[in-house]
Amino acid sequence: MKSILLLSLMMPLALHAQAPRIRDATTHEELAKTHRQAQQANSAQKLPEAKGPDLSTVKPIPDLISRSDILTFNGMTALVPKRAILNQPTAFATRINNFQQGSQIVRWPEFYEKNRGWITTLEVTRAQVEGKEPIDEKIVEKYRKSSNLVVATFKGGPVSVMPLREPEKKESEQPKTIQPTTKP
Amino acid sequence: MKASPIRLLGFALLATAPVQAQTYTNLIRQVQFPGGSEYDMPVENNYDPNDPTRSLMPIDPGGARFELWTMRASGATLTNILLSSTYVATYMPVATVAITSEDQTSELPRTRADRPFRVMVNVIGLLSGATVPDASKSVNFYHHVQSYGEGGVGTNIDRTQAVQLSGNSLTTVDDHPFNYAIHSVPSADLTKARGEERFSVYSLADVDSGAPISELAGQTIQIWPVADGAIAGLTQGQNIKFRLPQLTLTLNDLYPSSTTYVQAYKGPAVLGTVGTVVPGSALVLNESVPQNRILMVDNYDEAVSEDGQWTFELLTSTPFGIDRLGHVTFNINRSLDFRGSSTTIE
Repeated sequence: MKSILLLSLMMPLALHAQAPRIRDATTHEELAKTHRQAQQANSAQKLPEAKGPDLSTVKPIPDLISRSDILTFNGMTALVPKRAILNQPTAFATRINNFQQGSQIVRWPEFYEKNRGWITTLEVTRAQVEGKEPIDEKIVEKYRKSSNLVVATFKGGPVSVMPLREPEKKESEQPKTIQPTTKP
Repeated sequence: MKASPIRLLGFALLATAPVQAQTYTNLIRQVQFPGGSEYDMPVENNYDPNDPTRSLMPIDPGGARFELWTMRASGATLTNILLSSTYVATYMPVATVAITSEDQTSELPRTRADRPFRVMVNVIGLLSGATVPDASKSVNFYHHVQSYGEGGVGTNIDRTQAVQLSGNSLTTVDDHPFNYAIHSVPSADLTKARGEERFSVYSLADVDSGAPISELAGQTIQIWPVADGAIAGLTQGQNIKFRLPQLTLTLNDLYPSSTTYVQAYKGPAVLGTVGTVVPGSALVLNESVPQNRILMVDNYDEAVSEDGQWTFELLTSTPFGIDRLGHVTFNINRSLDFRGSSTTIE
């Protein structure tokens, strides 16, 4: 951002309306001394050690970018979760995960508002989001034929739609398996 | 299940605060467990930050993690920084981590390498009793640091490489304040440290329910270096006649939110003296990362109003006060002495 402003002679009035305290910039030696003192006074050292396994075994929160598809068009960019794009026409391939320098990052509502011409949203249910229920075949057929990019939303917010899971079968519905017979 | 009863006031405040110099955009991502679906809350730009909101996506039985991210474009590269995260689930302790520094100009907590900061950890929902699982009795508080390297600004660093400095157990429902007089980012010259420190609270794994170790809350503070600079074009003790020479100001690691300038006053250098700003020497920054600049200053004779000994000081004003980066004292004598005699001839 170009934020350089060359000020006029009016500056002294603004800068020194209240006489400020001026000090010399801190040196490494001064900070090293503070560092030693701070280590001795560290209140966290008085607490017991963390319980459980080493934290290095815990997977850190992955980057947002790696879990998102990036939509860019006409100087604007917005993120949606992976699996939120249900239909991706090849004509818009250059607008997906192809960030253009100078584009302004905006939130989804603003991006969608300006790009309704080529983006359509499909409101999905919570069960569909979790992969417990399929999206109606007719609707799937319709958006697959659409020339627009289709983004799944839940109450207006883009949402990932998980793959359809096989329903858990009850024990009584389990197919009976035939045990191979063995000769005595 | 009803809409998630988590108040997202803190997140919403951060998400809707005026973006710093239009360089950051904040987003809230909700991750559902155990399914793994992800949801972006449709936060409008005109959202009232004083009005607490609820997530529109109900929380799954395994809980949900709310992540507050800030995004920035640096050239053709997108950068994302996790500002804060909160994990919410049934019977799980709830924690918050809030970092405060003297710099209130940025929604992303930040400070300078020579300044203190404070971390406030609040834990609620801890239980006690012989039959209570360990995961409900305590949480772990961790402190990680990571250097951005020389000249680095934290773009696309691998945060899995952060170094754990400490890990402690918190067993009481209370506010736990931690004061840090100085940063812990590894650096040969402590004034030139660039990096970040992350403070996080994790739950313990619950053997009974199978709940894994989860980050309940966490926040990161950025540490930026102390600026340095020099005035060239004038030397200490130099005698000047007539016009003042062109000055070259070399400015390194200027704090992202700062005003840097040269002030002039009559007499020798005395720290604390308030003078007048040399015209054309002031530089105002409202950035997200430290800046280096070289400024040429010319035609500033009006700053030196009379003959005698003068001092120029290079100052930088930041949220932490005013620091002197350099100074030079010189003598100026603009007066002309006319020596001669006059005679008359009849």
